[in-house]
Amino acid sequence: MPVTSNASAQAAPAAASQRGRGALIGAGLLALALLPLVAGASPYMLGLLISALILAGLALSWALLGNLGGMVSFGHAAFFGVGAYGSALLAGKLGVPVLLAIPLGGLIATVFSLAMLPALRLSGPYFALAILAYAQIFRILATELDWLTGGAAGLQRYPGLPTVLGFNLADRAGSYVLVLACVVVFALVYMALRRSHVGTALRAIADSEDATRVVGVNATVLKTWMLLLSAFIAGVFGALNAHIIGFLEPDYAFSGIWSVMPIIAAVFGGYRSVLGPIFGAVVIYLFDQVIAKSLIPVGHQILLGIVLAIMVLLAPNGLSGLVARFLPRLAGRGLSNAEKGHA
Amino acid sequence: MLETRNLSSGYGAITVLWDVNLTFRAGALTAIVGPNGAGKTTLLRTLTGLLPFSGEILMDGAPLKGKTWDLAVQGLVMVPEGRLVFRDMSVEENLCLGAYPERCRGDLSANLERMYAFFPRLKERRHQLAGSLSGGEAQMVAMGRGLMAKPRILLIDEPSLGLAPVIVNEVFDIIRRLKGEGTTIVLIEQNTRVALSVADDVHLMRSGKVILSEKAEGLDLDRLHDLYFAREGAKEGAGR
Repeated sequence: MPVTSNASAQAAPAAASQRGRGALIGAGLLALALLPLVAGASPYMLGLLISALILAGLALSWALLGNLGGMVSFGHAAFFGVGAYGSALLAGKLGVPVLLAIPLGGLIATVFSLAMLPALRLSGPYFALAILAYAQIFRILATELDWLTGGAAGLQRYPGLPTVLGFNLADRAGSYVLVLACVVVFALVYMALRRSHVGTALRAIADSEDATRVVGVNATVLKTWMLLLSAFIAGVFGALNAHIIGFLEPDYAFSGIWSVMPIIAAVFGGYRSVLGPIFGAVVIYLFDQVIAKSLIPVGHQILLGIVLAIMVLLAPNGLSGLVARFLPRLAGRGLSNAEKGHA
Repeated sequence: MLETRNLSSGYGAITVLWDVNLTFRAGALTAIVGPNGAGKTTLLRTLTGLLPFSGEILMDGAPLKGKTWDLAVQGLVMVPEGRLVFRDMSVEENLCLGAYPERCRGDLSANLERMYAFFPRLKERRHQLAGSLSGGEAQMVAMGRGLMAKPRILLIDEPSLGLAPVIVNEVFDIIRRLKGEGTTIVLIEQNTRVALSVADDVHLMRSGKVILSEKAEGLDLDRLHDLYFAREGAKEGAGR
Protein backbone atom coordinates (compact mmCIF):
# COMPACT_ATOMS: atom_id res chain seq x y z
CA MET A 1 0.00 0.00 0.00
CA PRO A 2 1.68 3.22 -1.05
CA VAL A 3 0.29 5.24 1.84
CA THR A 4 1.53 2.92 4.56
CA SER A 5 5.03 2.39 3.19
CA ASN A 6 5.27 6.09 2.62
CA ALA A 7 4.44 6.73 6.26
CA SER A 8 6.95 4.25 7.62
CA ALA A 9 9.80 5.31 5.38
CA GLN A 10 9.81 8.91 6.51
CA ALA A 11 8.34 8.58 9.96
CA ALA A 12 9.95 11.27 12.08
CA PRO A 13 10.96 13.98 9.60
CA ALA A 14 7.62 13.49 7.87
CA ALA A 15 5.71 14.90 10.83
CA ALA A 16 6.81 18.48 10.18
CA SER A 17 6.46 18.34 6.41
CA GLN A 18 3.12 16.62 6.84
CA ARG A 19 1.95 19.45 9.03
CA GLY A 20 3.13 21.91 6.38
CA ARG A 21 1.35 19.91 3.73
CA GLY A 22 -1.77 19.78 5.91
CA ALA A 23 -1.74 23.58 6.22
CA LEU A 24 -1.29 23.85 2.46
CA ILE A 25 -4.24 21.57 1.80
CA GLY A 26 -6.29 23.49 4.35
CA ALA A 27 -5.49 26.81 2.66
CA GLY A 28 -6.29 25.33 -0.73
CA LEU A 29 -9.62 24.03 0.47
CA LEU A 30 -10.49 27.35 2.04
CA ALA A 31 -9.66 29.17 -1.19
CA LEU A 32 -11.85 26.71 -3.04
CA ALA A 33 -14.66 27.28 -0.55
CA LEU A 34 -14.45 31.05 -0.92
CA LEU A 35 -14.29 30.88 -4.71
CA PRO A 36 -18.07 31.18 -5.22
CA LEU A 37 -18.00 34.52 -3.37
CA VAL A 38 -15.06 35.88 -5.33
CA ALA A 39 -16.36 34.61 -8.65
CA GLY A 40 -19.74 36.17 -7.93
CA ALA A 41 -21.96 33.12 -7.98
CA SER A 42 -25.66 33.75 -8.54
CA PRO A 43 -27.93 33.93 -5.48
CA TYR A 44 -29.52 30.69 -6.65
CA MET A 45 -26.15 28.94 -6.74
CA LEU A 46 -25.18 30.35 -3.33
CA GLY A 47 -28.49 29.13 -1.96
CA LEU A 48 -27.73 25.64 -3.21
CA LEU A 49 -24.25 25.78 -1.71
CA ILE A 50 -25.63 26.91 1.67
CA SER A 51 -27.99 23.92 1.72
CA ALA A 52 -25.14 21.67 0.65
CA LEU A 53 -22.99 22.93 3.53
CA ILE A 54 -25.83 22.44 6.03
CA LEU A 55 -25.99 18.87 4.81
CA ALA A 56 -22.18 18.67 5.03
CA GLY A 57 -22.32 19.62 8.72
CA LEU A 58 -25.01 17.04 9.34
CA ALA A 59 -23.03 14.39 7.45
CA LEU A 60 -19.95 15.29 9.51
CA SER A 61 -21.87 14.76 12.75
CA TRP A 62 -23.25 11.45 11.46
CA ALA A 63 -19.80 10.27 10.41
CA LEU A 64 -18.29 11.26 13.75
CA LEU A 65 -20.75 9.00 15.54
CA GLY A 66 -20.28 6.23 13.00
CA ASN A 67 -16.52 6.41 12.70
CA LEU A 68 -15.43 7.26 16.24
CA GLY A 69 -18.42 5.94 18.15
CA GLY A 70 -18.99 2.88 15.99
CA MET A 71 -22.73 3.59 15.93
CA VAL A 72 -24.90 3.72 12.84
CA SER A 73 -27.62 6.31 13.29
CA PHE A 74 -30.86 6.33 11.33
CA GLY A 75 -32.20 9.15 13.44
CA HIS A 76 -30.14 12.28 12.96
CA ALA A 77 -33.33 14.05 11.87
CA ALA A 78 -34.25 14.10 15.58
CA PHE A 79 -31.17 16.10 16.60
CA PHE A 80 -31.44 18.31 13.53
CA GLY A 81 -35.11 19.08 14.19
CA VAL A 82 -34.72 19.60 17.93
CA GLY A 83 -31.86 22.02 17.30
CA ALA A 84 -33.97 23.88 14.75
CA TYR A 85 -37.04 24.17 16.96
CA GLY A 86 -34.98 24.86 20.08
CA SER A 87 -33.14 27.77 18.53
CA ALA A 88 -36.20 29.19 16.74
CA LEU A 89 -38.27 29.10 19.94
CA LEU A 90 -35.52 30.63 22.07
CA ALA A 91 -35.07 33.46 19.60
CA GLY A 92 -38.74 33.89 18.75
CA LYS A 93 -40.43 33.51 22.14
CA LEU A 94 -37.73 34.51 24.63
CA GLY A 95 -35.86 37.03 22.52
CA VAL A 96 -32.50 35.30 22.84
CA PRO A 97 -30.01 36.75 20.31
CA VAL A 98 -29.91 34.46 17.28
CA LEU A 99 -26.16 33.88 17.35
CA LEU A 100 -26.53 32.70 20.96
CA ALA A 101 -29.70 30.75 20.26
CA ILE A 102 -27.97 28.63 17.61
CA PRO A 103 -25.40 27.00 19.92
CA LEU A 104 -28.11 26.75 22.58
CA GLY A 105 -30.20 24.89 20.01
CA GLY A 106 -27.30 22.50 19.67
CA LEU A 107 -27.18 22.18 23.43
CA ILE A 108 -30.90 21.38 23.57
CA ALA A 109 -30.35 18.64 20.97
CA THR A 110 -27.56 17.34 23.20
CA VAL A 111 -29.84 17.27 26.24
CA PHE A 112 -32.52 15.42 24.30
CA SER A 113 -29.96 12.92 23.07
CA LEU A 114 -29.52 11.88 26.71
CA ALA A 115 -32.78 10.00 26.22
CA MET A 116 -30.85 7.82 23.77
CA LEU A 117 -28.35 6.67 26.40
CA PRO A 118 -30.09 3.39 27.23
CA ALA A 119 -29.78 2.50 23.54
CA LEU A 120 -25.97 2.76 23.76
CA ARG A 121 -25.92 -0.71 25.26
CA LEU A 122 -27.37 -1.98 22.02
CA SER A 123 -24.99 -2.66 19.22
CA GLY A 124 -25.11 -2.68 15.46
CA PRO A 125 -28.57 -2.98 13.91
CA TYR A 126 -30.34 -2.83 17.29
CA PHE A 127 -28.97 0.62 18.00
CA ALA A 128 -29.93 1.71 14.48
CA LEU A 129 -33.52 0.55 15.01
CA ALA A 130 -33.79 2.17 18.43
CA ILE A 131 -32.66 5.54 17.11
CA LEU A 132 -35.02 5.22 14.15
CA ALA A 133 -37.94 4.89 16.57
CA TYR A 134 -36.55 7.70 18.71
CA ALA A 135 -36.56 10.12 15.77
CA GLN A 136 -40.27 9.54 15.17
CA ILE A 137 -41.16 10.59 18.70
CA PHE A 138 -40.04 14.15 18.09
CA ARG A 139 -41.98 14.64 14.90
CA ILE A 140 -45.11 13.63 16.84
CA LEU A 141 -44.21 15.84 19.80
CA ALA A 142 -43.64 18.85 17.55
CA THR A 143 -47.00 18.26 15.91
CA GLU A 144 -48.96 17.71 19.12
CA LEU A 145 -47.50 20.44 21.35
CA ASP A 146 -49.05 23.22 19.30
CA TRP A 147 -49.10 25.74 22.16
CA LEU A 148 -45.30 25.68 21.95
CA THR A 149 -44.41 24.72 18.40
CA GLY A 150 -47.40 25.95 16.45
CA GLY A 151 -48.28 22.34 15.65
CA ALA A 152 -48.63 21.15 12.09
CA ALA A 153 -49.13 24.73 10.90
CA GLY A 154 -45.52 25.38 11.76
CA LEU A 155 -43.49 28.25 13.09
CA GLN A 156 -42.81 31.41 11.16
CA ARG A 157 -42.42 34.36 13.46
CA TYR A 158 -38.85 34.13 14.64
CA PRO A 159 -35.85 36.25 13.70
CA GLY A 160 -33.40 35.43 10.95
CA LEU A 161 -29.64 35.84 11.08
CA PRO A 162 -28.50 39.28 12.29
CA THR A 163 -26.02 41.81 10.93
CA VAL A 164 -22.69 41.70 12.74
CA LEU A 165 -20.18 44.55 12.40
CA GLY A 166 -21.83 45.72 9.22
CA PHE A 167 -21.73 42.23 7.75
CA ASN A 168 -25.24 41.03 6.94
CA LEU A 169 -25.39 37.32 7.77
CA ALA A 170 -28.94 37.14 6.46
CA ASP A 171 -28.02 37.70 2.84
CA ARG A 172 -26.79 34.78 0.79
CA ALA A 173 -23.09 35.62 0.95
CA GLY A 174 -23.23 36.22 4.71
CA SER A 175 -25.10 33.00 5.42
CA TYR A 176 -22.69 31.10 3.23
CA VAL A 177 -19.68 32.37 5.15
CA LEU A 178 -21.30 31.63 8.52
CA VAL A 179 -22.29 28.07 7.62
CA LEU A 180 -18.89 27.47 6.04
CA ALA A 181 -17.17 28.72 9.20
CA CYS A 182 -19.23 26.32 11.30
CA VAL A 183 -18.33 23.39 9.04
CA VAL A 184 -14.64 24.30 9.28
CA VAL A 185 -14.73 24.65 13.07
CA PHE A 186 -16.42 21.29 13.61
CA ALA A 187 -14.13 19.60 11.08
CA LEU A 188 -11.13 20.91 13.05
CA VAL A 189 -12.66 19.69 16.32
CA TYR A 190 -13.23 16.28 14.74
CA MET A 191 -9.63 16.13 13.47
CA ALA A 192 -8.17 17.11 16.82
CA LEU A 193 -10.35 14.58 18.59
CA ARG A 194 -9.39 11.82 16.22
CA ARG A 195 -5.70 12.49 16.69
CA SER A 196 -5.89 12.54 20.48
CA HIS A 197 -5.51 9.49 22.71
CA VAL A 198 -9.29 9.48 23.04
CA GLY A 199 -9.58 9.14 19.27
CA THR A 200 -7.19 6.21 19.26
CA ALA A 201 -9.19 4.56 22.03
CA LEU A 202 -12.44 5.13 20.15
CA ARG A 203 -11.10 3.53 17.00
CA ALA A 204 -9.96 0.57 19.08
CA ILE A 205 -13.37 0.25 20.74
CA ALA A 206 -14.92 -0.31 17.33
CA ASP A 207 -12.58 -3.30 17.00
CA SER A 208 -12.97 -4.85 20.45
CA GLU A 209 -14.58 -3.18 23.41
CA ASP A 210 -13.34 -5.67 26.01
CA ALA A 211 -9.74 -5.39 24.85
CA THR A 212 -9.88 -1.63 25.45
CA ARG A 213 -11.51 -1.99 28.85
CA VAL A 214 -8.70 -4.16 30.19
CA VAL A 215 -6.21 -1.33 29.62
CA GLY A 216 -8.38 1.24 31.35
CA VAL A 217 -10.62 2.70 28.65
CA ASN A 218 -14.10 3.52 29.87
CA ALA A 219 -15.75 2.60 26.59
CA THR A 220 -19.29 3.48 27.67
CA VAL A 221 -18.37 7.01 28.71
CA LEU A 222 -16.41 7.67 25.53
CA LYS A 223 -19.26 6.44 23.34
CA THR A 224 -21.66 8.62 25.33
CA TRP A 225 -19.49 11.68 24.66
CA MET A 226 -19.51 10.91 20.95
CA LEU A 227 -23.30 10.66 20.93
CA LEU A 228 -23.61 13.98 22.79
CA LEU A 229 -21.11 15.73 20.51
CA SER A 230 -22.75 14.34 17.38
CA ALA A 231 -26.17 15.49 18.60
CA PHE A 232 -24.74 18.95 19.35
CA ILE A 233 -23.27 19.36 15.87
CA ALA A 234 -26.46 18.12 14.20
CA GLY A 235 -28.48 20.50 16.38
CA VAL A 236 -26.33 23.49 15.49
CA PHE A 237 -26.79 22.88 11.76
CA GLY A 238 -30.51 22.35 12.27
CA ALA A 239 -30.62 25.72 14.03
CA LEU A 240 -28.56 27.44 11.34
CA ASN A 241 -30.88 26.07 8.70
CA ALA A 242 -33.95 27.19 10.62
CA HIS A 243 -32.76 30.79 10.82
CA ILE A 244 -31.71 30.82 7.19
CA ILE A 245 -34.96 29.51 5.69
CA GLY A 246 -37.22 31.32 8.16
CA PHE A 247 -39.99 28.79 8.74
CA LEU A 248 -40.38 25.40 10.43
CA GLU A 249 -42.97 22.67 10.37
CA PRO A 250 -42.70 19.21 11.94
CA ASP A 251 -42.81 17.32 8.65
CA TYR A 252 -39.94 19.43 7.35
CA ALA A 253 -37.73 19.79 10.43
CA PHE A 254 -37.98 16.10 11.37
CA SER A 255 -38.17 14.79 7.82
CA GLY A 256 -36.55 11.43 7.17
CA ILE A 257 -34.47 13.25 4.55
CA TRP A 258 -32.33 14.62 7.39
CA SER A 259 -31.64 11.07 8.53
CA VAL A 260 -31.03 9.56 5.10
CA MET A 261 -29.12 12.29 3.26
CA PRO A 262 -26.22 12.49 5.74
CA ILE A 263 -25.80 8.72 5.47
CA ILE A 264 -25.71 8.88 1.68
CA ALA A 265 -23.35 11.85 1.74
CA ALA A 266 -20.99 10.36 4.32
CA VAL A 267 -20.84 6.92 2.73
CA PHE A 268 -20.41 8.46 -0.71
CA GLY A 269 -17.61 10.71 0.49
CA GLY A 270 -15.99 8.13 2.75
CA TYR A 271 -17.29 8.15 6.30
CA ARG A 272 -13.99 7.14 7.89
CA SER A 273 -12.30 10.39 6.92
CA VAL A 274 -13.03 13.92 8.09
CA LEU A 275 -13.21 15.61 4.71
CA GLY A 276 -15.05 12.78 2.97
CA PRO A 277 -18.53 13.48 4.39
CA ILE A 278 -18.16 17.21 3.67
CA PHE A 279 -17.24 16.70 0.02
CA GLY A 280 -19.70 13.85 -0.27
CA ALA A 281 -22.49 16.16 0.88
CA VAL A 282 -21.59 18.95 -1.52
CA VAL A 283 -21.22 16.60 -4.50
CA ILE A 284 -24.33 14.56 -3.72
CA TYR A 285 -26.51 17.58 -3.00
CA LEU A 286 -25.46 19.49 -6.11
CA PHE A 287 -25.82 16.35 -8.21
CA ASP A 288 -29.31 15.81 -6.82
CA GLN A 289 -30.48 19.41 -7.25
CA VAL A 290 -28.79 20.35 -10.51
CA ILE A 291 -28.50 17.14 -12.53
CA ALA A 292 -30.93 14.58 -11.11
CA LYS A 293 -33.78 17.06 -10.74
CA SER A 294 -33.54 18.19 -14.36
CA LEU A 295 -33.48 14.61 -15.58
CA ILE A 296 -36.30 13.26 -13.40
CA PRO A 297 -38.29 16.14 -11.85
CA VAL A 298 -40.34 13.83 -9.61
CA GLY A 299 -38.56 11.08 -7.72
CA HIS A 300 -35.08 12.30 -8.60
CA GLN A 301 -33.72 10.75 -5.39
CA ILE A 302 -33.74 7.40 -7.16
CA LEU A 303 -30.60 8.53 -8.98
CA LEU A 304 -28.87 9.08 -5.62
CA GLY A 305 -29.46 5.45 -4.81
CA ILE A 306 -27.89 4.38 -8.07
CA VAL A 307 -24.91 6.69 -7.69
CA LEU A 308 -24.35 5.48 -4.12
CA ALA A 309 -24.58 1.83 -5.14
CA ILE A 310 -22.00 2.37 -7.88
CA MET A 311 -19.70 4.17 -5.44
CA VAL A 312 -19.94 1.45 -2.80
CA LEU A 313 -19.22 -1.25 -5.38
CA LEU A 314 -16.32 0.52 -7.05
CA ALA A 315 -14.78 2.35 -4.10
CA PRO A 316 -15.94 1.14 -0.69
CA ASN A 317 -14.04 3.97 0.98
CA GLY A 318 -15.87 6.61 -1.00
CA LEU A 319 -14.46 9.75 -2.53
CA SER A 320 -11.73 10.09 0.08
CA GLY A 321 -10.63 6.54 -0.65
CA LEU A 322 -10.44 7.31 -4.35
CA VAL A 323 -8.44 10.47 -3.76
CA ALA A 324 -6.09 8.64 -1.41
CA ARG A 325 -5.58 5.93 -4.01
CA PHE A 326 -4.83 8.22 -6.92
CA LEU A 327 -3.19 11.14 -5.20
CA PRO A 328 -1.31 9.58 -2.30
CA ARG A 329 1.15 12.44 -2.08
CA LEU A 330 -1.42 15.18 -2.08
CA ALA A 331 -3.90 13.40 0.12
CA GLY A 332 -2.38 14.17 3.52
CA ARG A 333 -3.62 12.64 6.71
CA GLY A 334 -7.21 13.79 6.73
CA LEU A 335 -8.02 11.93 3.57
CA SER A 336 -5.64 9.03 3.63
CA ASN A 337 -6.46 7.50 7.00
CA ALA A 338 -9.46 5.69 5.62
CA GLU A 339 -7.37 3.97 3.03
CA LYS A 340 -4.69 3.17 5.57
CA GLY A 341 -7.22 1.51 7.83
CA HIS A 342 -8.17 -0.87 5.07
CA ALA A 343 -4.73 -1.58 3.73
CA MET B 1 -1.24 -8.84 47.15
CA LEU B 2 -4.23 -10.24 45.21
CA GLU B 3 -6.44 -12.77 46.91
CA THR B 4 -9.75 -14.49 46.25
CA ARG B 5 -12.04 -15.86 48.96
CA ASN B 6 -14.80 -18.33 48.11
CA LEU B 7 -14.95 -16.85 44.66
CA SER B 8 -17.76 -18.21 42.50
CA SER B 9 -18.80 -16.93 39.11
CA GLY B 10 -20.09 -17.94 35.73
CA TYR B 11 -22.31 -16.96 32.88
CA GLY B 12 -25.93 -16.26 33.86
CA ALA B 13 -27.45 -19.38 35.44
CA ILE B 14 -24.37 -21.47 34.73
CA THR B 15 -21.80 -21.48 37.49
CA VAL B 16 -18.28 -22.15 36.24
CA LEU B 17 -16.09 -21.30 39.22
CA TRP B 18 -16.85 -22.91 42.58
CA ASP B 19 -15.43 -21.45 45.81
CA VAL B 20 -12.02 -20.59 44.51
CA ASN B 21 -9.47 -19.53 47.15
CA LEU B 22 -6.22 -18.26 45.70
CA THR B 23 -3.37 -16.00 46.73
CA PHE B 24 -1.14 -14.23 44.24
CA ARG B 25 2.10 -13.03 45.82
CA ALA B 26 3.61 -9.68 44.93
CA GLY B 27 6.59 -9.96 42.61
CA ALA B 28 5.92 -13.62 41.91
CA LEU B 29 4.72 -15.37 38.80
CA THR B 30 1.68 -17.47 39.54
CA ALA B 31 0.66 -19.99 36.91
CA ILE B 32 -2.86 -21.34 36.70
CA VAL B 33 -2.82 -24.54 34.71
CA GLY B 34 -5.53 -26.99 33.81
CA PRO B 35 -7.31 -28.65 30.92
CA ASN B 36 -9.84 -27.06 28.59
CA GLY B 37 -13.00 -25.98 30.35
CA ALA B 38 -11.40 -25.90 33.80
CA GLY B 39 -12.49 -22.30 34.29
CA LYS B 40 -9.10 -20.60 33.89
CA THR B 41 -10.24 -17.90 31.50
CA THR B 42 -13.44 -17.47 33.52
CA LEU B 43 -11.24 -16.84 36.56
CA LEU B 44 -9.30 -14.17 34.70
CA ARG B 45 -12.42 -12.54 33.35
CA THR B 46 -13.85 -12.49 36.87
CA LEU B 47 -10.68 -10.97 38.33
CA THR B 48 -10.77 -8.19 35.73
CA GLY B 49 -14.40 -7.38 36.40
CA LEU B 50 -15.80 -8.69 33.13
CA LEU B 51 -18.05 -11.19 34.95
CA PRO B 52 -20.22 -10.84 38.06
CA PHE B 53 -19.18 -12.95 41.04
CA SER B 54 -19.96 -13.93 44.58
CA GLY B 55 -17.33 -14.17 47.31
CA GLU B 56 -14.46 -11.72 47.63
CA ILE B 57 -11.53 -10.42 45.63
CA LEU B 58 -9.00 -8.54 47.75
CA MET B 59 -6.15 -6.36 46.53
CA ASP B 60 -3.69 -5.52 49.32
CA GLY B 61 -6.33 -6.70 51.77
CA ALA B 62 -9.05 -4.36 50.54
CA PRO B 63 -12.03 -5.54 48.49
CA LEU B 64 -11.55 -4.78 44.82
CA LYS B 65 -14.15 -2.37 43.54
CA GLY B 66 -14.98 -0.99 40.13
CA LYS B 67 -15.59 -1.94 36.57
CA THR B 68 -12.99 -3.42 34.26
CA TRP B 69 -11.59 -0.10 33.03
CA ASP B 70 -11.42 1.21 36.59
CA LEU B 71 -9.53 -1.89 37.77
CA ALA B 72 -7.07 -1.35 34.92
CA VAL B 73 -6.56 2.22 36.08
CA GLN B 74 -5.86 0.77 39.55
CA GLY B 75 -3.20 -1.46 38.02
CA LEU B 76 -4.95 -4.76 37.28
CA VAL B 77 -4.27 -5.18 33.58
CA MET B 78 -5.08 -8.13 31.35
CA VAL B 79 -3.47 -9.40 28.17
CA PRO B 80 -6.45 -11.10 26.56
CA GLU B 81 -6.44 -14.53 25.01
CA GLY B 82 -5.94 -15.08 21.30
CA ARG B 83 -3.50 -12.19 20.79
CA LEU B 84 -6.33 -9.73 20.60
CA VAL B 85 -4.73 -6.72 18.92
CA PHE B 86 -6.41 -3.84 17.14
CA ARG B 87 -5.85 -5.01 13.60
CA ASP B 88 -6.57 -1.76 11.79
CA MET B 89 -4.15 0.21 13.92
CA SER B 90 -0.37 0.37 13.73
CA VAL B 91 1.85 -1.42 16.25
CA GLU B 92 2.71 1.91 17.83
CA GLU B 93 -0.93 2.96 18.12
CA ASN B 94 -1.70 -0.38 19.76
CA LEU B 95 1.07 0.21 22.28
CA CYS B 96 0.06 3.82 22.93
CA LEU B 97 -3.45 2.70 23.66
CA GLY B 98 -2.06 0.70 26.57
CA ALA B 99 -0.91 3.98 28.11
CA TYR B 100 -4.50 5.22 28.22
CA PRO B 101 -4.73 5.53 32.05
CA GLU B 102 -3.89 9.08 33.04
CA ARG B 103 -0.96 8.07 35.26
CA CYS B 104 0.79 6.64 32.14
CA ARG B 105 0.38 9.58 29.78
CA GLY B 106 3.08 11.86 31.14
CA ASP B 107 6.11 9.88 29.96
CA LEU B 108 4.61 8.29 26.89
CA SER B 109 7.72 8.40 24.72
CA ALA B 110 10.00 7.03 27.45
CA ASN B 111 7.43 4.31 28.06
CA LEU B 112 7.41 3.48 24.34
CA GLU B 113 11.20 3.33 24.18
CA ARG B 114 11.15 0.94 27.14
CA MET B 115 8.81 -1.33 25.18
CA TYR B 116 10.95 -1.17 22.06
CA ALA B 117 14.01 -2.06 24.13
CA PHE B 118 12.05 -5.01 25.41
CA PHE B 119 10.61 -6.05 22.05
CA PRO B 120 13.15 -4.90 19.42
CA ARG B 121 11.12 -6.63 16.72
CA LEU B 122 8.20 -4.32 17.42
CA LYS B 123 10.38 -1.29 16.87
CA GLU B 124 11.11 -2.48 13.33
CA ARG B 125 7.41 -2.91 12.75
CA ARG B 126 6.17 0.14 14.62
CA HIS B 127 4.28 1.62 11.66
CA GLN B 128 2.94 -1.66 10.34
CA LEU B 129 -0.71 -2.54 10.87
CA ALA B 130 -1.09 -4.95 13.76
CA GLY B 131 -3.38 -7.12 11.64
CA SER B 132 -0.47 -7.96 9.36
CA LEU B 133 1.80 -9.34 12.11
CA SER B 134 2.71 -12.97 12.70
CA GLY B 135 1.20 -14.75 15.70
CA GLY B 136 4.26 -14.32 17.88
CA GLU B 137 4.60 -10.63 17.06
CA ALA B 138 0.91 -10.05 17.75
CA GLN B 139 1.35 -11.70 21.15
CA MET B 140 4.24 -9.30 21.81
CA VAL B 141 2.04 -6.35 20.86
CA ALA B 142 -0.68 -7.59 23.20
CA MET B 143 1.82 -7.96 26.05
CA GLY B 144 3.50 -4.66 25.26
CA ARG B 145 0.12 -2.93 25.29
CA GLY B 146 -0.59 -4.39 28.72
CA LEU B 147 2.83 -3.30 30.00
CA MET B 148 2.34 0.23 28.72
CA ALA B 149 -0.48 0.52 31.27
CA LYS B 150 2.20 0.07 33.98
CA PRO B 151 0.39 -2.78 35.68
CA ARG B 152 0.80 -3.67 39.33
CA ILE B 153 -0.47 -7.09 38.32
CA LEU B 154 -0.35 -8.32 34.74
CA LEU B 155 -2.78 -11.11 33.90
CA ILE B 156 -1.78 -13.04 30.79
CA ASP B 157 -4.32 -15.38 29.24
CA GLU B 158 -3.00 -18.42 27.36
CA PRO B 159 -0.01 -16.79 25.57
CA SER B 160 1.04 -20.07 23.90
CA LEU B 161 -2.31 -20.58 22.20
CA GLY B 162 -1.89 -21.35 18.52
CA LEU B 163 1.83 -20.51 18.40
CA ALA B 164 4.58 -22.69 16.94
CA PRO B 165 6.80 -24.27 19.66
CA VAL B 166 9.80 -22.10 18.76
CA ILE B 167 7.68 -18.98 19.11
CA VAL B 168 6.22 -20.25 22.39
CA ASN B 169 9.75 -20.45 23.78
CA GLU B 170 10.46 -16.93 22.57
CA VAL B 171 7.31 -15.59 24.23
CA PHE B 172 8.15 -17.33 27.47
CA ASP B 173 11.69 -15.96 27.40
CA ILE B 174 10.07 -12.55 27.40
CA ILE B 175 7.78 -13.50 30.27
CA ARG B 176 10.83 -14.69 32.21
CA ARG B 177 12.54 -11.34 31.64
CA LEU B 178 9.39 -9.52 32.73
CA LYS B 179 9.37 -11.50 35.92
CA GLY B 180 13.05 -10.65 36.39
CA GLU B 181 12.09 -6.98 36.37
CA GLY B 182 9.77 -7.59 39.31
CA THR B 183 6.40 -7.47 37.56
CA THR B 184 3.73 -9.44 39.39
CA ILE B 185 2.28 -11.84 36.84
CA VAL B 186 -0.66 -14.20 36.77
CA LEU B 187 -0.34 -16.61 33.89
CA ILE B 188 -3.08 -18.83 32.53
CA GLU B 189 -1.71 -21.73 30.55
CA GLN B 190 -2.68 -25.16 29.26
CA ASN B 191 0.88 -26.05 28.45
CA THR B 192 2.14 -27.16 31.89
CA ARG B 193 5.71 -27.70 30.78
CA VAL B 194 6.32 -24.11 29.66
CA ALA B 195 4.21 -22.73 32.49
CA LEU B 196 6.31 -24.53 35.09
CA SER B 197 9.49 -23.30 33.45
CA VAL B 198 8.71 -19.73 34.51
CA ALA B 199 6.33 -20.08 37.48
CA ASP B 200 6.99 -19.52 41.17
CA ASP B 201 3.59 -20.80 42.31
CA VAL B 202 1.35 -23.24 40.49
CA HIS B 203 -2.37 -23.84 40.85
CA LEU B 204 -4.10 -26.64 39.02
CA MET B 205 -7.74 -26.15 38.12
CA ARG B 206 -10.23 -28.70 36.94
CA SER B 207 -14.01 -28.41 36.54
CA GLY B 208 -14.10 -24.96 38.07
CA LYS B 209 -12.16 -25.85 41.22
CA VAL B 210 -8.59 -25.47 42.37
CA ILE B 211 -7.39 -28.99 43.09
CA LEU B 212 -3.70 -28.38 43.65
CA SER B 213 -1.66 -25.43 44.92
CA GLU B 214 2.11 -25.84 45.10
CA LYS B 215 5.43 -24.10 44.77
CA ALA B 216 6.72 -24.70 41.26
CA GLU B 217 10.14 -25.67 42.55
CA GLY B 218 10.32 -29.38 43.29
CA LEU B 219 6.78 -30.02 42.08
CA ASP B 220 6.17 -33.66 41.16
CA LEU B 221 5.25 -33.39 37.49
CA ASP B 222 3.82 -36.92 37.38
CA ARG B 223 1.44 -36.16 40.18
CA LEU B 224 0.43 -32.90 38.49
CA HIS B 225 -0.25 -34.71 35.25
CA ASP B 226 -2.20 -37.46 37.02
CA LEU B 227 -4.45 -34.80 38.50
CA TYR B 228 -4.51 -32.80 35.27
CA PHE B 229 -5.84 -35.75 33.30
CA ALA B 230 -7.88 -37.09 36.25
CA ARG B 231 -6.11 -40.43 36.12
CA GLU B 232 -7.12 -43.26 38.49
CA GLY B 233 -5.57 -43.17 41.92
CA ALA B 234 -4.54 -39.52 41.86
CA LYS B 235 -5.10 -37.94 45.25
CA GLU B 236 -6.49 -34.44 45.28
CA GLY B 237 -5.39 -31.90 47.82
CA ALA B 238 -3.91 -28.51 48.36
CA GLY B 239 -0.34 -29.09 49.40
CA ARG B 240 0.31 -25.67 50.84
